[in-house]
Amino acid sequence: MSDLILDIQDLVVNYETDDGIVHAVNGLNLQLEKKKTLGLVGETGAGKTTTALSILNLVPNPPGVIRNGRIILDGEDVLQKSPKELQKMRGNDVAMIFQDPMTALNPVMTVGEQIAESILLHENVTQAEAFERAKEMLRQVGIPDSRAYDYPHQFSGGMRQRVVIAIALACNPKLLIADEPTTALDVTIQAQVLELMKELIRKYEMAVLLITHDLGVVAEVCDEVAVIYAGKVVEKGTADDIFNHTLHPYTEGLFNSMPNLKKKGEDLEPIKGMMPDPMNLPEGCAFAERCPYASDACLRVNPELRKVSDTHWVACRAYEDERFQLRRYQHA
Amino acid sequence: MSAVTKSTVTTAKPVTKMKSRSQGQEAWRRLKKNKGAMLGLAFLILLVVVAIISGYIFDYETDVIGINPAEKLQKPSAQHWFGTDNLGRDIFARVLYGSRYSLVIGVGSVFIGLVIGVLCGALAGYYGGMVDQVVMRINDMLYAVPNIMIAVVIVSLFGTSTFNLLLSLCVTVATAFTRIARASVMTIRQQEFVEAAYAMGLPTWKVIFKHILPNCLSPIIVQATLSIGTTIINASSLSFLGIGIPSPAPEWGAMLSEGRNFIRNSGYICVIPGLAIMFTVLALNLLGDGVRDALDPKLKK
Amino acid sequence: MPDNKYLLEVEGLTKYFNTPAGLLHAVDGVSFKIERGKTLGIVGESGCGKSTTGRTILKLIEPTAGKIIFDGQDITHYSTKQMRKLRTDMQMIFQDPFSSLDPRQSVMQLISEPLIQHKLVRGKAAIEKKTLELMEVVGLAQRFINSYPHELDGGRRQRIGIARALAVNPKLIVCDEPVSALDVSIQAQILNLLKQLQRDLGFTYIFITHDLSVVKYFSDDIAVMYLGQMVEKAPAEDLFKEPIHPYTRALLAAVPQPVVGETRPQRQLIRGEIPSPVNLPDECRFNKRCDYVCDQCKKGNPTLQEVRPNHFVACTRAHEWLE
Repeated sequence: MSDLILDIQDLVVNYETDDGIVHAVNGLNLQLEKKKTLGLVGETGAGKTTTALSILNLVPNPPGVIRNGRIILDGEDVLQKSPKELQKMRGNDVAMIFQDPMTALNPVMTVGEQIAESILLHENVTQAEAFERAKEMLRQVGIPDSRAYDYPHQFSGGMRQRVVIAIALACNPKLLIADEPTTALDVTIQAQVLELMKELIRKYEMAVLLITHDLGVVAEVCDEVAVIYAGKVVEKGTADDIFNHTLHPYTEGLFNSMPNLKKKGEDLEPIKGMMPDPMNLPEGCAFAERCPYASDACLRVNPELRKVSDTHWVACRAYEDERFQLRRYQHA
Repeated sequence: MSAVTKSTVTTAKPVTKMKSRSQGQEAWRRLKKNKGAMLGLAFLILLVVVAIISGYIFDYETDVIGINPAEKLQKPSAQHWFGTDNLGRDIFARVLYGSRYSLVIGVGSVFIGLVIGVLCGALAGYYGGMVDQVVMRINDMLYAVPNIMIAVVIVSLFGTSTFNLLLSLCVTVATAFTRIARASVMTIRQQEFVEAAYAMGLPTWKVIFKHILPNCLSPIIVQATLSIGTTIINASSLSFLGIGIPSPAPEWGAMLSEGRNFIRNSGYICVIPGLAIMFTVLALNLLGDGVRDALDPKLKK
Repeated sequence: MPDNKYLLEVEGLTKYFNTPAGLLHAVDGVSFKIERGKTLGIVGESGCGKSTTGRTILKLIEPTAGKIIFDGQDITHYSTKQMRKLRTDMQMIFQDPFSSLDPRQSVMQLISEPLIQHKLVRGKAAIEKKTLELMEVVGLAQRFINSYPHELDGGRRQRIGIARALAVNPKLIVCDEPVSALDVSIQAQILNLLKQLQRDLGFTYIFITHDLSVVKYFSDDIAVMYLGQMVEKAPAEDLFKEPIHPYTRALLAAVPQPVVGETRPQRQLIRGEIPSPVNLPDECRFNKRCDYVCDQCKKGNPTLQEVRPNHFVACTRAHEWLE
C-alpha cells in the first residue's frame, strides 16, 4: 500500500455565482506522505483554502461545486463518501485549524468543554473521561489544565490558537490541515506556536498540510513544499528543492518580492501585474502574462507538471529546453 | 520639495473609463432579480396609481360617503363589484379611495418618524456619553409604551383627526429609527475612512453628513419599507377602535370596524378591506425583504 | 521659521486611556527626532503603542503629555481649527485598504476630496486633470477613475489611499502598516512605490509595522517599541548588526527565516505573553519575560541611554552586552 495519506488528483472546484463562474481550483495535483509536513504556498485567490476545504468536502455548496477529481485520503476517495461517513472522519482522522483564533472558538462554552466535545463525538467515553482527556490536551499545548474551566475571552490570541490546536489533536488525527495558523499572531507568539506545532507533529506522528503565504514559516516547519497559482500546483518538491533549486518563475518572483533580513536595501523586484481574475482565466499558462521568461507558446498551452527529479516537479514550458535556468542561477 | 506633477497628462487626451457601478446601482441590479420583491413593487406602484386617480374618478360626496339606504347590503354584482355596505355605499369605490389614506398615513408618518429618529440616533451614536444616555433612555420609554396607548393619550388630549393619528404613529416609527441609526453610526464611526476624513481636515459636520450617514442608509431604507407596512396596520387598528380617522372616511380599518355587525350575512364588507390591508402589507414586506437582501454587501470574491 | 534639520521632534509623548479596568498606558514617554527626507521605522507587536503614537503625532488623538514640534512649530496644544491648516503638511496612509476608503465614493471622488476641501485646485476640469496625474504617479491605471473601491483589489485600493495622501503635497506621511494586508508580490510593488516617491519628492516617513524584514528594507532609523515605550533606537543597519535590548534580540530571533539547509542556531525564544498595558508598575516592563532580569530591573523604568553613537537602549544591563 502506498505511503500516501493524501492524494489529490485533478481537482476542479468552481464557485457558481450569479455573476459568473469562479474557477477556484483548476486541475490540482497534490500528494502528501504519512508523517510528512507539506507547505502549500500561494497568495490570496490562488485556491489554497478551497483545496483545504475540499479535502473534508466542506466547500460551501451553493455556490461551490466540485466538478472533477478524486481526493484519496488514506486509501479511500473522500468525494464518494456519504455525509455520515464524512462526519465520522472530520475531527477524527482529519482535523483542521483555521487562521483566526478570535472567532474559531465558541464564546459561550468553556475551553475544556470544547476540547471534550470533539472527543465525545468520536470516541466512546463518558463526559468525565472526555474532560480529563481535554485537560491532558491543554497540558500538551502548554496551558495549565486548571484553565480548562475558563472561557475563550479570558485567553490571549496565542493561547486561543493553542486551544484550537488542542481541539484539533484531541482525537489523534492522521492528517492535520492548518490554514494560515499563525498569520494573525504576533511575531514572538508565532514563534512559540510554531515550535509547539513542530513538537506535537513529531510526537503525534501526523501528516500536516500547512497552508501559508509566508516562506519563512515554510522553511521552519515543512519537509515538502507545493506552490499554488491560479488553482494549480506550479512547482512541488522538498524544501531544499524549492528554496535552493527553484524552478518556476513564479516561485522565483515570490522570493524576489520578499524583503528578508539578509538582503540590503536595494529595490525589491516585485512580480509585475496581478493574479488573473479567476472568473476569466487565460487560455494558456495562467502566469504567462506576468512571466519574464514567457514565450508565445506559453500563452496558448497550459503546462502540466513534469518531473525534473525524483522529488521535484514543475509546470513550466521553459524547461522543455534543457539548458533553461532562472535568472538567479544564471550568473553562477 | 517639488510638487507632485511629473506626468504628461492633459485632459484633451480621451481616457477610456471603465464602466463602473456604484453600490447603489449594484443593489438595484440584485433587487431586480428578486421576483417576490418585483411583484411587491409592481403592486405598490399600482396602488399609488389607484390612489391618485381615485381622486378624479370618484366624487367624494356621492360615490364614497353618499348614503344610499335603498341599495344597502347588496352582495357583489355587476353593478357594485364589491357590493354595498350597510349604508348603501359602494365598497369598490370606498376601498379604492381608502388607499389614499393608507398610503398618505403610512408614508407620511414613516417619513417624519425617520427624520426625527435618524437625527436623534445619529447624535446619540456619534457623541456617545451623556447625549447617548439621555436620548436612548427617552427612546426606550417611548418604545416601551404600546402605540395604542400613545394614540389614546393624544386623541383624548387633542381629539380624533388625521393629523393626530399621524402624530401618534410617528412616535412609534421614530423610536425604531433611533435605535437603528444609533447602531449604524456607532459602527461606521469606527471605520478607518472616517479617521481618514478627519486626517484630511474635514470638519465634524461634514464627516457626519458626507461620510457617516450615507453609509448608514442600508438598514434605514430596509426599516423604512417595513415600517410603512406596520404603520398601515397600526393605523387600521386605531381606526378600528375608533380613535383613528373619523368616519365616514373610507379608511380600511374603519371599514372593518363598521362591518363587524354584519359579518354573518354580509361578510364581504369586512373581508374586502381586510384583503386590501393584507395585500398592501404583504407587498411592502416582500419589497422590504428584497431590499434588505439586495443591499447586503456580501461581495465575496 | 528656522529651516532646521528636523522635520519632527517628539519629546516625552504620552497617551493614557481611562478604561473601566484602570489606566491604560498606550504610549509612555516616547521621544525621537526625524530629519527631513528620512524614514523612521517604528516596529513592535500588538499593544506596543506604535499605531497610537502615529495617530497622536498627527493629533488625531490628543496627547496626554509631552511635546510635538512639527516643522519648527509646537503643535502639542493646537486646536482642531489650527490643525486644519496643517493637514496639508501631514498625512496618513492606513492599514486596511478595505475600510480606509468610503465605499460610496468613486476613485475620482476619493482622490479629489482633499483637493476640494483645501481649495488647492478649482474647476471640474482642473480637478480631474490633477486626479489623473496623481493616479499616474501611484501607478493606478486611468481607466479606473470612475470605479468604486469594492470593484478593485487590495493593492489598487492601497494605491488610492496613497494618491489621496499625496494630493495635498504633504511633508510628513505616517504609514500605519500600509502593506500588512497585502499579498507578498503586491507588498513589494507598494513598497517600491513608496520608496520611489520619497526619492523623487522628498517625503519624510514614519513607517509603522510589525514586520521586521519590511522595516529593515524601508527605514533609515528604527525604533523598537514595547508596551508603550521605546526600548531601542538605532540606525537600521546598526540595529540589525548589533541588537542590544533583550526584547529586540528576541524579536529578531523569532522571525522565521526563509532559508533551508543552513544549520540554524537554536533560537532563543521569548517566553510568556505580552502583559496587559493597564496599570503598569514602575519597573522595567519587559522584566517578566526577560532572560536576563536582575534586581535592578525592578527598581524603576530604565530610560533610553545612548550606548553607541546614535544607538539608544533602555536597559539597565545594556553595557554588559556591548562588545
